[in-house]
Amino acid sequence: MKHLKSFNKKAKMLDRTTSPDEVEDVVAMQSVVGCTSTNDPGWEVDPFGGLGSLCQPMESDLYGCADACWWPAQVPDTISQYPDWSQDVSKANEDWRKLDGIFPEEQK
Amino acid sequence: MKKPMMKRALYFSGAIAFMGLSSAVVAVDGESVIQEKCLLCHTQTGNPETPYSRISEQRKTPEGWQMTINRMQRLNGLVISSDEERAVIKYLSDTQGLAPSESAPHRYVLEQKPNVVENVDPAYAEMCARCHSNARFGLQRRTEDEWKLHVNTHMAINPTTELHALARDRSWYDIAYNDVAPKLATDYAFNDPAWKKWQQMSKPKLAGSWSVAGFIAGKGNYSATLNITKVSKDNFSLVMTGHYADGSPLKGSGQAKVFSGYEWRASLTLDGVKMRQVMAASEDGTTLTGRMYQAAHDEIGGELNAMNGKAIVALSPSAIKQGGQQEITIIGSGLKGDISLGKDVQVVKVLSRDADRVVVLAKASTRASVGLRDVAVGGTKANAQLAVYDSIATIQVTPNESIARIGGNGGKLAKVQSTYRALAFSAGSDGKPGTEDDMRLGYMPAQWSLLPFDEVADHENDLKYAGTIDGNGIFTPGDAGLNPERKFSTNNVGNLKVIAQVADGDNKVEGEAHLLVTVPTFIKRAIQ
Repeated sequence: MKHLKSFNKKAKMLDRTTSPDEVEDVVAMQSVVGCTSTNDPGWEVDPFGGLGSLCQPMESDLYGCADACWWPAQVPDTISQYPDWSQDVSKANEDWRKLDGIFPEEQK
Repeated sequence: MKKPMMKRALYFSGAIAFMGLSSAVVAVDGESVIQEKCLLCHTQTGNPETPYSRISEQRKTPEGWQMTINRMQRLNGLVISSDEERAVIKYLSDTQGLAPSESAPHRYVLEQKPNVVENVDPAYAEMCARCHSNARFGLQRRTEDEWKLHVNTHMAINPTTELHALARDRSWYDIAYNDVAPKLATDYAFNDPAWKKWQQMSKPKLAGSWSVAGFIAGKGNYSATLNITKVSKDNFSLVMTGHYADGSPLKGSGQAKVFSGYEWRASLTLDGVKMRQVMAASEDGTTLTGRMYQAAHDEIGGELNAMNGKAIVALSPSAIKQGGQQEITIIGSGLKGDISLGKDVQVVKVLSRDADRVVVLAKASTRASVGLRDVAVGGTKANAQLAVYDSIATIQVTPNESIARIGGNGGKLAKVQSTYRALAFSAGSDGKPGTEDDMRLGYMPAQWSLLPFDEVADHENDLKYAGTIDGNGIFTPGDAGLNPERKFSTNNVGNLKVIAQVADGDNKVEGEAHLLVTVPTFIKRAIQ
C-alpha cells in the first residue's frame, strides 16, 4: 500500500481514517443515538465520520433507500411497513415538501 | 398479509401517546384488554407463570411496550382505543417492567437526551446497534426463545437486513440466531432477579413538596419547588414554581403518571410551553432525577434533579475564583440558619432568601486554597460542593460529538437543533491540565462561534449554508431541500466545529466540539 498514492478526494479520506485518532472520531460520530452506522454509504454520517461520501442531495436517491429498506430506523421502508409512504410523490427531488415523517403528532 | 392502516392514523398513535394524560381516572383494565384484543392472535399457554404466548416472556419500559403496541397496530391489524392502549401499557409496565437497576444504564434514551454517544459491545454494534440505539434492546428483557423469535421478526419486517454492509459479507442470520440471541438472553435476561426483588419492595411515595434544580437550553439554570398531589393510584397532579437564574419567575402545572413503581412521566405547561418530564424515583424515595424537555422539540431541555426533605440540591454557579466576588444561588429546601461557604469564602451579603432559594454575594480570599468547599445552610449540608480555583485551564464543550438536522422550508419535518454548554476545569494541584486531579468548575457562560471542521468543509463552504449558533449555544440548522447554490444542489448539510470562548479575568479560554449538520430522520420512535 505504501507505493500507492491517493488520487481522488474519497481515497484521501480513506487514507486519513487509518490514523487511530481519526478512527475514534468516526466511531464516536456514528454511535450518536439516532444515527445509523450502516455505512454503505451512510444516512447521516459517511464511513469517514463526515458527509463527503453520502448521496447528495439526499432527495435524489431517497427512494433507493426507502424501497430497499436500507435505513429502516431512519427512512420509512416501502417493502413492508410503509408501502404508501411516497405514493403521492413520484419525484422526491421536486416534491420533497410533501413527504411526511412517522413522528409523534406534537413533534410535527 | 394484512393491509397496513392508513398512514395518517399511525401518526396519532405517536411515540409518547401514553403520556397524553386525561384528568379522569382510566377505568379500563389492562389485563382485560389483553384478553380481549391480544388473544385474537396470541394464545393462552396454560402456564400461570407465563400465561400469554410471547407477551409473557418479555419485560420492557413503558415506551418499549408502547412501541410494541404501535407495531401491532401498524402491521398486525390491532384496533385499540387510546384509553385501552394506556391501560395495557400501564398493566404490562407494572407486571413486566424493568427494575431501577435494569433501566439505569440507558435512561438517556427514555429522557430523549440528544447527542449521546453509546459505547456498544462489538457483537451488538455490528448486528443491532448499526440501525438503532443500544438502548432499544438494552431496555428489554426476553427469554432466549423470545430473542430468537425477535431475530426472525426482524427478518420478516426488514428482509434486506442481510444485504447491508456489516451483514452481507458473513452469515448474518446464523450469527444473529445462534450467537447474538443467546448472548442477549444472558446480558438482558428475562429472569434477572432484580425485577422480582423490585416487585417485592415497597415503592417510593412521591406526593409532597420537592426541591428542584435544573437547566433548560436557552433559559439557563433554574430553581423551583415541585408540589406533587396524588389524584389516584399512580396518577398525580403537579405544580412547579420557581425562578430562572436571572431572577425571572418560572411557573407550570400538569399531570403525571408513575409506571413500574418509579418511572415518572409528566406532561405540563411551563410558562406557556408544553413540556415533558421523564424521571426515575430513587428506591428510597428521596430523589427524582431525569430530564425536562419541550414536547414539540425534545432536543431543547435539560437535566432536572429533585430532592425531598431538607437538602441543598445545587449551587449556581458552583465555582469562585481566588480573590473573586460574585453572586451564588443556593438551591434546596429547608434552607434556614447560618450560611457557610467553606474556608476563606465569605458571605459578603445575603441578597435574598426563602426556604428553597438563597442568593448571596460571596467573596473568596486571595489566599484561599484551591479546592472544593462544603457548603451548608444551618444544619443542611450541600449535595454539591463549591470549587475555589486559580484559573480556568480547559473548556470542554458538551456534547463533544453532535448532530443537527436540516428541516423546515415548507416541508413537513422540523429542523432539529443542537445545544451546547461550556464546562470549565482548573488544572488542579499539579498545575497540569488533562490529569486526574483536574477540578470540575461547572458550566460557565461562553461566547459561541462556528468554524469549518476540516478542509473539505471549508472548500464546500459549509459555514455559509449549514446554520447559525446564538448567544445561548443553540445551533439552528439550515433549511431542508435542495440548494441550487451548492454543487450538485447539495442540501444545507455541513461539517462544523462549535467553539466556546470563556472569559477568565483578562484571559480567554477556548474549547470546541464537532457538529455534523445532516439530513432529517423520517422516523421518530419513543426509543430511537
